[in-house]
Amino acid sequence: MKKFIVWFSLVFGFAFIATVGQPTQQVEASEKTYTIATDVTFPPFVYANSNNKYVGIDMELIKAVAKKEGFKVEIKPIGFNAAIQAVQSGQVDGMIAGMSITTERKKTFDFSNPYYSSGIVMAVKKGSKVTSLKQLKGKTVAIKTGTSGADYANSIKKKYGFKTVTFDDSDSVYDDVKTGNAVACFDDSAVLQYGVKTGLGLKIVTKPTDTGNYGFAVRKGHNQVLLNKFNKGLKALKKDGTYAKIIEKYTGKKAVSAQKKSSENSSDSYTMLALLKQNKSAFISGIEETLWLTIVGILFATIFGILIGLLGVVPSKIAQGLSTTIIYIFRGLPLIVLALFIYNGIPSLTGTKVPAFVAGIITLTLNEGAYIGAFVKGGIEAVDSGQMEAARSLGLPFSKSMRKVVLPQGIKIMIPSFVNQFIITLKDTSILSVIGILELTQTGKIIIARNLQGFRIWAIVAVIYLLMITVLTLLSKWIERRIKN
Amino acid sequence: MSEYKVNVTNLKKNYGANHVLKGIDFKVANNEVVVLIGPSGSGKSTLLRCLNKLEEPTSGSIVIDGQDISLSSTNIDKARENIGMVFQHFNLFNNMTVGENIMLAPIELGKSSKDEAKKQAKDLLETVGLSEKFDAMPSSLSGGQKQRVAIARALAMNPDVMLFDEPTSALDPEMVGDVLEVMKDLAKKGMTMVVVTHEMGFAKEVADRVVFMADGRVMEEGKPDQVFDHPQNERTKAFLDKVINV
Repeated sequence: MKKFIVWFSLVFGFAFIATVGQPTQQVEASEKTYTIATDVTFPPFVYANSNNKYVGIDMELIKAVAKKEGFKVEIKPIGFNAAIQAVQSGQVDGMIAGMSITTERKKTFDFSNPYYSSGIVMAVKKGSKVTSLKQLKGKTVAIKTGTSGADYANSIKKKYGFKTVTFDDSDSVYDDVKTGNAVACFDDSAVLQYGVKTGLGLKIVTKPTDTGNYGFAVRKGHNQVLLNKFNKGLKALKKDGTYAKIIEKYTGKKAVSAQKKSSENSSDSYTMLALLKQNKSAFISGIEETLWLTIVGILFATIFGILIGLLGVVPSKIAQGLSTTIIYIFRGLPLIVLALFIYNGIPSLTGTKVPAFVAGIITLTLNEGAYIGAFVKGGIEAVDSGQMEAARSLGLPFSKSMRKVVLPQGIKIMIPSFVNQFIITLKDTSILSVIGILELTQTGKIIIARNLQGFRIWAIVAVIYLLMITVLTLLSKWIERRIKN
Repeated sequence: MSEYKVNVTNLKKNYGANHVLKGIDFKVANNEVVVLIGPSGSGKSTLLRCLNKLEEPTSGSIVIDGQDISLSSTNIDKARENIGMVFQHFNLFNNMTVGENIMLAPIELGKSSKDEAKKQAKDLLETVGLSEKFDAMPSSLSGGQKQRVAIARALAMNPDVMLFDEPTSALDPEMVGDVLEVMKDLAKKGMTMVVVTHEMGFAKEVADRVVFMADGRVMEEGKPDQVFDHPQNERTKAFLDKVINV
């Protein structure tokens, strides 16, 4: 029993160092790098180009400012809502994502001077008969979480009697309107105008509201140095003409028509195979990330789970209580809540950043580990108690009896559950897209944000998942046969 | 050293409000074979299981080979090495062959090398008449064969005392003889044995002393003839009447 505790702390210490130790070094190694969060897709301000590089007005602006002011930026395209939370929790230093400066937001953010002016407009499907707010009565309107378009819609929805449906990214909003689930959407005029021009399939039916200045944001009272640098840099860029060049590059006639042309041309080549080819590198890195998460996650979850399971069968009330409590908590928490809590919740309390990958691994370890712990405990308990008694009666200590007699029999009982849990872990990595990890699901989202081929891309992503799960299953079955013989 | 191999004084065992043993005094001399009989629920199995602390006694002392195993300061694993136990349901390790079952404890506890353990296991299997089963898995054996392997496994640690907890109760009638034969041989060789059984024939033939228990107390004890032919206690008489075909 003492050995178990030593083991337990050893493995945990190792796991802790392995996961937390590494990234800290990386952070320290680079000097004066600010982490800036942004949206997944918000063209023309931020979107991935056909090489999956993030471009747009916001991206060029922040990079130009950084160059001017002599600092480095690391861009994290994690989605608008996630970006807001990441800034609030201190996970990132600032955000630039076509974010409107509002009095509500000023309570929790400090904004730079406005770098772009835009207002909110309403867009409907091409050919729709809806042209005014009054026609929205009893209808559904699509909005994006946390945006000023959403705030505007919510502020007038009582007056005009419509319902809202909320999405995390712009494409889902537009898709919802195009499929007819929602009759209209509200978004910033610059964004919708750009979208309409480049063949989004929507039309704008209202005039822009007069609100809507975009600003770069930091957490209130924090990162004032960065904020000042941005203001200073922006001023300089406006003065030397760089600012105007950037705006022209993305909203000028030339840019829009080029984008439109490319999307029209390539729409013919949107076969599955062509899409796979175009996005090969993105898919591969997405698959790699998913596999990494799965392998490392399974490894730690298995170690953690076995320890928790063993703790549950040690003849000590305290150990058993601890095991039961851990299983109860982490099996009871939805994975998505746990991931957000670890990634956004803990840093806002302690002030230390947790890298997304590490947060993801901790999430998987705790959640999948709790399930593994439960069936490890169950598997051991399913072994006839006479086996343990016989071993003990020969003078074998508890740990030896467990290792030589009970565990080998228990493991056979557990194997199918292990295989099952590994498959679930692979699938669960997709949930970690909420904390901005660029795994397969998030990769899919981003590709769709660019080419709007939702059906085909999701089909490809689904098939890739199935392939990976098939491989994992075959591998598990092979190991299962090896162990059983 | 105590003059007794086993010396139990005022042993009590409660499961909550249920008093299973109500103050047992129980002694076993060196080389003695003691058979515990009594109706089910009388506490005889519990008493036996207290002797190697598979059951934690509530109070009282249990001295085996001069060592009080009821004390928490006693290394119970060490003490158990000298106390062999045979179970009603054999409890052979299902994940090991017959040979591995027998060799596990001697090797793991550093009592003998692998070669020594193997030789010893083969010798033991021969004494219980199963030399050809060294590589067999327990699941391929009959009940009687399993129990004989279990006895061999317990003997592999060279214990001073052997405890038998209803060793023939789970066997088909035709298997009982073989197991009892092995136990008789063991008794003849001078092994100190405590046997819980319903085999009255065995008790009569092999036991040096018979102890009759009921309601968590020792009701009567003595030589087999004395207890079986001239029982003094009413409970003993009633019990023996029921198992008349002795």
